[in-house]
Amino acid sequence: MGYLNNSIVTVDAILTTKGRQLLAQGGGAFTITQFALADDEIDYTLYNPNQPSGSAYYGEALQNMPLLEAFPQETQTMKYKLVTLPRGTAKMPILDLGYSAIVIKQGASLAVTPQTLNYTGGNQVEASGYTFTISDVRLFSTFEGVGINTPSVQALNYTSTIGTNVSKTVVGTTLNLKATTVNTLFGSNTQLQATLTVEGRDSGARATIPVTVTKVS
Amino acid sequence: MSYKRLEPDDFVISADSITAAMWVGGVPTLTYFFTSSTQEASTSGNYYLNIYSSSAATDIQFAVAYANLNGSGSELYNNAVTGSSPTATIYGQYQNLILGDENAPFIFGNTTSSDFWAISIERNQYKEAIFPGSLFLELSGSLGVINLTDDSNYVSTVAYSEAGRVFNLISASAAGVKVTNSGTTTDGWSVNSGSYGWLLPDIGTILLNPVALSGSIAAGGIGLAVSRSFDAPGNNNVRIYKAISGSTASTFTLNSQETVTSDYVFVRPRSSEFNYSENPSFISGSTGEVIYSDFINNPQVYITTVGLYNDNNELLAVAKLSRPLLKDFTKEALIRVKLDF
Repeated sequence: MGYLNNSIVTVDAILTTKGRQLLAQGGGAFTITQFALADDEIDYTLYNPNQPSGSAYYGEALQNMPLLEAFPQETQTMKYKLVTLPRGTAKMPILDLGYSAIVIKQGASLAVTPQTLNYTGGNQVEASGYTFTISDVRLFSTFEGVGINTPSVQALNYTSTIGTNVSKTVVGTTLNLKATTVNTLFGSNTQLQATLTVEGRDSGARATIPVTVTKVS
Repeated sequence: MSYKRLEPDDFVISADSITAAMWVGGVPTLTYFFTSSTQEASTSGNYYLNIYSSSAATDIQFAVAYANLNGSGSELYNNAVTGSSPTATIYGQYQNLILGDENAPFIFGNTTSSDFWAISIERNQYKEAIFPGSLFLELSGSLGVINLTDDSNYVSTVAYSEAGRVFNLISASAAGVKVTNSGTTTDGWSVNSGSYGWLLPDIGTILLNPVALSGSIAAGGIGLAVSRSFDAPGNNNVRIYKAISGSTASTFTLNSQETVTSDYVFVRPRSSEFNYSENPSFISGSTGEVIYSDFINNPQVYITTVGLYNDNNELLAVAKLSRPLLKDFTKEALIRVKLDF
């Protein structure tokens, strides 16, 4: 008879930039209610099911790899979440945004309605909606999520963002965009560029596409 | 699903008292002491002297100041206003802070004193409080050397002032260890002039009793001179600095103390949970097939990061594991995440 290893893993957490903001804001916004797990930094192509030493060594390239410290920027961590799916899942949920890249003219409008493929038996719009994050909010005079009307989502969507080069996140089943008409943002350039990250709030599926706003005059 | 709700039992709040070495660089004992000629010559030099741990004078460790009820030991602000001087200001400042009564006297042990030296530790160094029993201060005078500590190890009832706990300074052989001789009482006080001062751990301050320290060896003193000249610079801040720094090297040992409140969150992914990944390297092609056929029924994923969220799915805190943790349908994990405030 041997002793079971009942040790637990202990890790120290750091507050994210958003966490510090909400902690300073007070009012109960900083209330941890749920967790998620991620495998950022893991490259599964290093997993080797043909390892001649046997199955115990398939993951040897991953199990002992050194990991980087946590990044405080919430947009730079927890990128690739682990998800709970039925055993036997052959296809992972992936997002179909309808665009592989967005190129939009100054002052023009666009709606993005994502769909999740391979999720709970088919292709569908997730019940909890999607999180849309634009890396530079100045590119759009309108950046709003619609379709989810819970109080917490509405509060999140109505949060104003100071007009500097910062990201903005909204939630909905559809994202409505209207490109900026401000010429001075372009300087001597004819284009402004940013990235749009969309994440399924139920599935954890994530997609990032480039966004380009072209100057009209 | 990629989020799992935490249960009330998953949260534990713990408050731990942490003690640490006091001085910059995690050093418990200062042996060399430096002042800044610039600060000494400035207006603030009339009130106090900053003491540094290096000649570069970059890290203030503590400040020393002389206080006198009658304003002696420094020049008057205005000759027309008797008794109003920097030393009187310092006296009133500590009287207000510690005694809370402008008429109350400082009584060191059993002796009322009209003056004292104050050693005020830099807040960064003492954090929340000085750890009682850790003090060991060596002072040099014209007649010899005395070592002081506080009497926290010898009192059964802690005395309180308007500035929190008060401990008397006593003659010592080591931190927290009393020593007595013919010049001291059995309490470790000077035989005729009361205790050698006070330790006020909650405000990071030490008061030294000049009457006890200036006495003869037989009276428990070290001949540490103090100037009580009226309307004249007494250089008493420099005097106590020299007493602390000694002729070559001296010893000033202290520990800091703080209460760290930790929030422990127990994260429990069950065997059937979190076994697939949205990592782009977990799938092959554009249709989402998992990268290896073995992963369909026996997926192997590696946890590297734990994220803590609020109801809006906003990431509040993040923790990284020291190495990837394998997770599959045969494994459960218990991860304790520690959040310090």
